[in-house]
Amino acid sequence: MRNSGYLIRRFLQALLALFIIATLLFFLFRLGLPDPTTVLVSEGLSPEQREDVRRQFGLDLPLWNQYLIFLQNTLTGDFGTSFHYRAPVSEIIWERLGNTLVLMLAAIFVSYGIGVPLGAWLSWRRGSSVDSWGIFFGLMFRSAPMFWTGMISILIFGVWLEWLPTSGMRTLPYEATGFWDKILTLDFLRHLILPAMIVALFYLGSPLLIMRNTMLEVYGEDFIEMARAKGLQERSVLFRHAARNALLPVVTQLAVTIGLAAGGQVVVEVVFSWPGLGREILNAVRTSDFPLAQACFLIMATFVIFLNLLVDILYSTLDPRVRLS
Amino acid sequence: MISPALKEAFAPLRLMLQDRLAVVGLIVLTMIFCMALFAPMIASQDPFAINEDEDGSVLLRTDDGWLLQPSLGQVALNDTASRAGEDLIVGRQGSLWTRTADNWERVDLPVIADLNGVAMTDTGSAIIVGGDGALLLRTGTDWEVVTTDQTVALNSVAWVDDETALIVGQDETILRFDVTDKSLSPLNSPLGRGMTLNAVAKDVDGTVLVVGERGVAMRYDPASDAVELVRLGSSRTLEDLHIASSGTALAIGERGTLIRRDGPDGKWTVDKTPDSRGLMAGWIDDAGRGYAVGRNGIIMERAPEQDWILASTESERHLRTILVNDAGAIALGSDKFVVRFASPSAAHWFGTDHLGRDLFSRSMYGSRIALLVGFLGATLVMIIGTNVGLVAGFYRGKTDTILMRTVDVMYGIPFEPFALILVLLFTPSLGIVILAVSLLTWRTTARLIRAQVLSLRERPFIKAARVAGASDLRIMYLHILPNVMPLVFLELAITVGVAIIAEATLSFLGLGPPQSVSWGGILHDARLSGAWRTAWWWNLPPGIFIMMTVLSVFFISRSLELVANPRLRARR
Repeated sequence: MRNSGYLIRRFLQALLALFIIATLLFFLFRLGLPDPTTVLVSEGLSPEQREDVRRQFGLDLPLWNQYLIFLQNTLTGDFGTSFHYRAPVSEIIWERLGNTLVLMLAAIFVSYGIGVPLGAWLSWRRGSSVDSWGIFFGLMFRSAPMFWTGMISILIFGVWLEWLPTSGMRTLPYEATGFWDKILTLDFLRHLILPAMIVALFYLGSPLLIMRNTMLEVYGEDFIEMARAKGLQERSVLFRHAARNALLPVVTQLAVTIGLAAGGQVVVEVVFSWPGLGREILNAVRTSDFPLAQACFLIMATFVIFLNLLVDILYSTLDPRVRLS
Repeated sequence: MISPALKEAFAPLRLMLQDRLAVVGLIVLTMIFCMALFAPMIASQDPFAINEDEDGSVLLRTDDGWLLQPSLGQVALNDTASRAGEDLIVGRQGSLWTRTADNWERVDLPVIADLNGVAMTDTGSAIIVGGDGALLLRTGTDWEVVTTDQTVALNSVAWVDDETALIVGQDETILRFDVTDKSLSPLNSPLGRGMTLNAVAKDVDGTVLVVGERGVAMRYDPASDAVELVRLGSSRTLEDLHIASSGTALAIGERGTLIRRDGPDGKWTVDKTPDSRGLMAGWIDDAGRGYAVGRNGIIMERAPEQDWILASTESERHLRTILVNDAGAIALGSDKFVVRFASPSAAHWFGTDHLGRDLFSRSMYGSRIALLVGFLGATLVMIIGTNVGLVAGFYRGKTDTILMRTVDVMYGIPFEPFALILVLLFTPSLGIVILAVSLLTWRTTARLIRAQVLSLRERPFIKAARVAGASDLRIMYLHILPNVMPLVFLELAITVGVAIIAEATLSFLGLGPPQSVSWGGILHDARLSGAWRTAWWWNLPPGIFIMMTVLSVFFISRSLELVANPRLRARR
């Protein structure tokens, strides 16, 4: 544990980053966005009633006072009440986060499950036409915006072939007592396929190319020459010796991707009407729902910052050559 | 001192040309650049222009609604007349069609005036009237032009008996036309206010009814050869009049006006209308079954003793007239109508959108914003990212910590919601889009450059420079920077791709600059209108263009990667 000092310092720095983000957003929302009462409350409201609503939301207090209350509540894990839903923010947020994560993790699982072995195989066949086509398709799906591939997939599989549902997580109306009850059904799986495939195809290029390129670098190392000199089979050299050593950057990329997954892919959620965190945050900002927007931003930032921290630590653990400083 | 640095900077170009995919990328990108530069020349029209077409449209009544039939050319059709075995259809610019059974035939007439009205007897004698006092007569099989001294537009004609017809038109023109000696005698209008008279029809009692502007109605009595005013109970402009053989009658006009008379002695009553857009023609039979057609593809139908209802139609063309015979009913048109949701054709290669704008032209112009944001944004990102990376990596310590934790903070902010906040904070504009893209993209570049600088600064040549007394700035920008240039170019290429996708994403979410043409914006319109599920041509081109542009940039970046990392170069 000679690095514990470094770890604690990084952890504290991460907390500081979160604090800065929270503060930044708090003031950005309140100074930049329109007053929630003008967005939320429909016309026909007298000035007195509007004042009433403002008091209810705690918007009548001085800004610094609101800020202190916000900090205090956030530290105790209380995100407040959503202006729009008139319900505790934490309830809404955990549900949306679950919806987003189940979609994103499924997509990441598929893209890395296919991309890593495929990348290794392409490196083995480097310079061949298989290699070129592999790179071409990987980059092609990386270049196509997801809202477009999403719309096209809806057009083909939803509208023309009518194979798969194209919107939401379940066929309406449905009854579910909880999150797991909702997603452990065949109906959910059918709803998951299209959006998850679209995200997976977009992500596929990065593990594929990283794996391929790192493998090419590893081939030049002495220990590969050594393995070949020992008379090992090419397949064994490829997967036992080269692939293991090439995994490091892929794992790093995986952690970063998972970190960003909490934010979801806003456009995919919009196109497929997926009730996730990304869509929620857009609505929250549009309606000046400060508590909900703050909580969404904070959750996303927490995921990204701590998984980035994890990446740094992983890096040094998996590769002893990298020294933490 | 400068020239080796420049040489170093241009080294990538030589290596790129050896990579096949990179050459493909360069060619495609050059094409997209040409597209952006020469957009006004390539585009077939102004990307904001709303396309309107005049068309000889035919809609046939079927059990599935009124369906579009093959067009009869490019001019609008104005009026019809029919007898057993033959229909006549007249239109603008002297066009005349005859229809026997399902056989349409164009008849060449020696006139170019717009033909507005036609009437035919059971024996086949026919009269056509039109603009500039045009008058044509058919007694046998041939049409002959009757010269008149009229200059106003004649709008409608009806036979009074086998020898006489009544013609009405602009300026309250009422003419009695004698077929035997081809003479025209003007009749005095009882009103004298210069109203336009639009339609004329023979009533069952032998008199002739005339309707026109602001609900004007007159009755011509052949016995006394005089015209007198009557009232139908509406002051709306009436466009057409139809009287069935036993006396049930229908007059229609602007704002969905429907005035009906049951039987020859019935009272004229105004019917409840299902739509308030203008009607142009109507038809009714003695049982009370009726049709009325009008602008924007409005077709109303009425079953006996029922209210009028809107029928489903395939098109939004401005219908002008209706033809009903034993074979069925057809509605004809059309004035200039907006060509919405047109599928790809020779005139519109990529079809048109919900406002009738040409999608090919919009796609061409869309390349401008994509490239502008892509390259301007990426350059900005490179300037910020490279400098932050250089400074952080070179000075290390506190500076490094502060800058890298700033990068962490930037990583913690999601792109789309942040851009939305920026748009709400200011107003949507190109500047905001570029700002949003660059503010949240420099973080990756800064990290990569810093890592590279960290390893470079320990190299002997840097130490040598320091010993020689070089300043920090000199070491950073003259010794380290040229060595990270390959990486900068690589990142620049990737960032261009990322920025183009980011711009498309913002435009797709409706956060792009208003009144601009962009690929993402086209897809935004498609999704918002809801018609993209049927109008497949709407979705395809913008997405393909985005993909091609970004892909070409990625291909180029791949060859730059070979420059930055020699170990990736193919061996053997």
